[in-house]
Amino acid sequence: MNVGILSIIVLALALCGFVVGRNRALQSVKGDARKLHSLPVYHGQTVALFVTVPAVLMMAVWLVAQPMVIEARIVGQLGDAVAADPVASKLAMEDVSRIADGLDALQAATGLSDDEIGDMRSDLSDIRGRLAEVGVALGSEVRPEIFSMAKSLRGMQQTGATMMTALVLMLAVGGLALGILRIEGDFRARNVAESFFMWLLVAAAGVAILTTIGIVLSLFSETMRFFSVHPASDFFFGLTWNPQFRGGSDLGIIPLLWGTLYITFVAMIVAAPIGIFAAIYTAEYASPRVRSVVKPLIEVIAGIPTVVFGLFALVTVGPFLRDYFAVPFGLGTSGSSVLTAGLVIGILNIPFVSSLTDDIINAVPQSLRDGSYGLGATKSETIKKVILPAALPGIVGAVLLATSRAIGETMIVTMGAGAAAKLDLNPFEAMTTITVKIVSQLTGDLAFDSPETLVAFALGSSLFVITLGLNVFALWIVRKYREQYE
Amino acid sequence: MYDAPANKQSVDQSNQKITARNVQVFYGDKQALRDVSVDIEDRTVTAFIGPSGCGKSTFLRCLNRMNDTVAIARVEGDIRLDGEDIYHPMVDPVQLRAKVGMVFQKPNPFPKSIYDNVAYGPKIHGLTRSKSELDGIVEESLKRAALWNEVKDRLQESGTGLSGGQQQRLCIARAVATGPEVLLMDEPCSALDPIATAQVEELIDDLRQNYSVVIVTHSMQQAARVSQKTAFFHLGNLVEYGETGTIFTNPQDPRTESYITGRIG
Repeated sequence: MNVGILSIIVLALALCGFVVGRNRALQSVKGDARKLHSLPVYHGQTVALFVTVPAVLMMAVWLVAQPMVIEARIVGQLGDAVAADPVASKLAMEDVSRIADGLDALQAATGLSDDEIGDMRSDLSDIRGRLAEVGVALGSEVRPEIFSMAKSLRGMQQTGATMMTALVLMLAVGGLALGILRIEGDFRARNVAESFFMWLLVAAAGVAILTTIGIVLSLFSETMRFFSVHPASDFFFGLTWNPQFRGGSDLGIIPLLWGTLYITFVAMIVAAPIGIFAAIYTAEYASPRVRSVVKPLIEVIAGIPTVVFGLFALVTVGPFLRDYFAVPFGLGTSGSSVLTAGLVIGILNIPFVSSLTDDIINAVPQSLRDGSYGLGATKSETIKKVILPAALPGIVGAVLLATSRAIGETMIVTMGAGAAAKLDLNPFEAMTTITVKIVSQLTGDLAFDSPETLVAFALGSSLFVITLGLNVFALWIVRKYREQYE
Repeated sequence: MYDAPANKQSVDQSNQKITARNVQVFYGDKQALRDVSVDIEDRTVTAFIGPSGCGKSTFLRCLNRMNDTVAIARVEGDIRLDGEDIYHPMVDPVQLRAKVGMVFQKPNPFPKSIYDNVAYGPKIHGLTRSKSELDGIVEESLKRAALWNEVKDRLQESGTGLSGGQQQRLCIARAVATGPEVLLMDEPCSALDPIATAQVEELIDDLRQNYSVVIVTHSMQQAARVSQKTAFFHLGNLVEYGETGTIFTNPQDPRTESYITGRIG
């Protein structure tokens, strides 16, 4: 029985449980719902939860655990030499499971019985040819021990599935019985349902946090691997970025960090003033009608995919800056430049800054404005001397959040600033950033365990630490000064 | 409706600070104030009383054109300050508000130091030429608001860190520092405890020496304590206006009598 059908059965049982539980709760007080501790619907929910929660949890755990257990047993059977070498055991496992899948497809296509499959032998019949007929291509002839492993893999999978079905159904039926038996007038079904929903919400929050922890752990473990094959001091203090295919590369982060910070600086020079001024206009000057049009229009920018911005940088901004500024002033002939990418990332970040700033300005209490106007201050005096100082911590926070977004931007830099890692002050030169190099190091043809590839993780960790630091700093500022006018 | 005789008897023309004739206020389609005519005297505390939503705060906000900051508000009629029409197109509402200061219901000190709160008005209006002159204004205003002794050692601390009563007196000091001729107070004690209220009331009485004070209040006891003139508003109309003693002891209009005896409100 497959997982889909099993789930439907469990859900059907839960539905039955809901109806039966509700009716039984009513019966237990002879139809007078006022005598129940909880409404009948909560009794129904409780029974349904008793059916589904243990069964679904068991199914989830089984589905995760079964492949791990089977793999461990198969690898164990392949012999100590293979089991000791993680690469070899991984390869062998891939072969085994591909053949097992092939046998499944073969059985589905030809209608062979399990016994007939069991009697097949790789040294007697042309397994490779027959599997190719059903669309499973194998790279080489099938070795007998691999083939027998594939057969035992199928056997274990089938046993596992049967056992899981039995267990899940037992749990579901058991939960149904237990849930129904517990129903009586005084049973606090509402509290049970209540605490279940709390745990559901806790689990949802937990998923988000665990994912983050998982990402960080995998990032840092790969980074450690990089530092075991490449000296950390070369990485952090190296002034050259020059990866080589044959090894012996210079992998210094400084030129990339410089490019990242330079481009981010240009971007924020563009985004911060324009975004803040736009926000002051929408929050303080625009009439409600104008505001309801202008604000969404500014925010549309945020909805444009960054790759489209990249195109804009590549075909419009880059050539424009080169032809009208760089070449006439003798500052370079490159179409891609720090200024191109910085300008376009800045534009991308305008709605981010303006939207947050607008919210922050609106959060400044009207009473402060009244107080200032009441003293005979003009609008711009009020904004300069009262509103902006009151909103400043929030605005700083918004700008810092936008900065960490600019630091992480990849697509626009790839298309607008080029890929040359350089330490240069000229904003019309092509430079590149950490994110771009992460992409290019990971998408090359190099072996995965070479320092040239692993450096991507070290770059990623560095970037993560930088943006995390900025975000924490931004939140700290926002929090520290938030209560000032409350 | 307000009729003239109550007023004519004692008031001579030169003593009138603000004269309002047939003032109407609309918020969108809704009329908030109908045909209000009032003469507010100089060096006098005038109290506006009436149930919630009767238009007394609305009228107060007409007197320094604070209603201009509300997009849907529209004011008709004639309001004159020292004989000059304050709604004349040539009048700059910003300058008007420097002459007609305002203190609000909820204390609203700026999130700045105590000193900067008081110095705010003089600075934006360029009233001082030197730091010492500004220091003088700040000290004098805080003294006039009876706050100087409590804050003189911590002028650089934030104004929002003061207690509610101190904050409200800071707001009064802030309004006084601009050198206004009229002070409008919109329920200045409603967010304060009785002790702070007593301090502010005492202060209002002192302020009468130099300014014309208009105070909106929900508390009839307060009106009776601090004001010389009282106006009773009801449902957007000015029902009765006269000497405070007369209004509270011998009201002419049955609505006024019902309100001050607690039958409507």
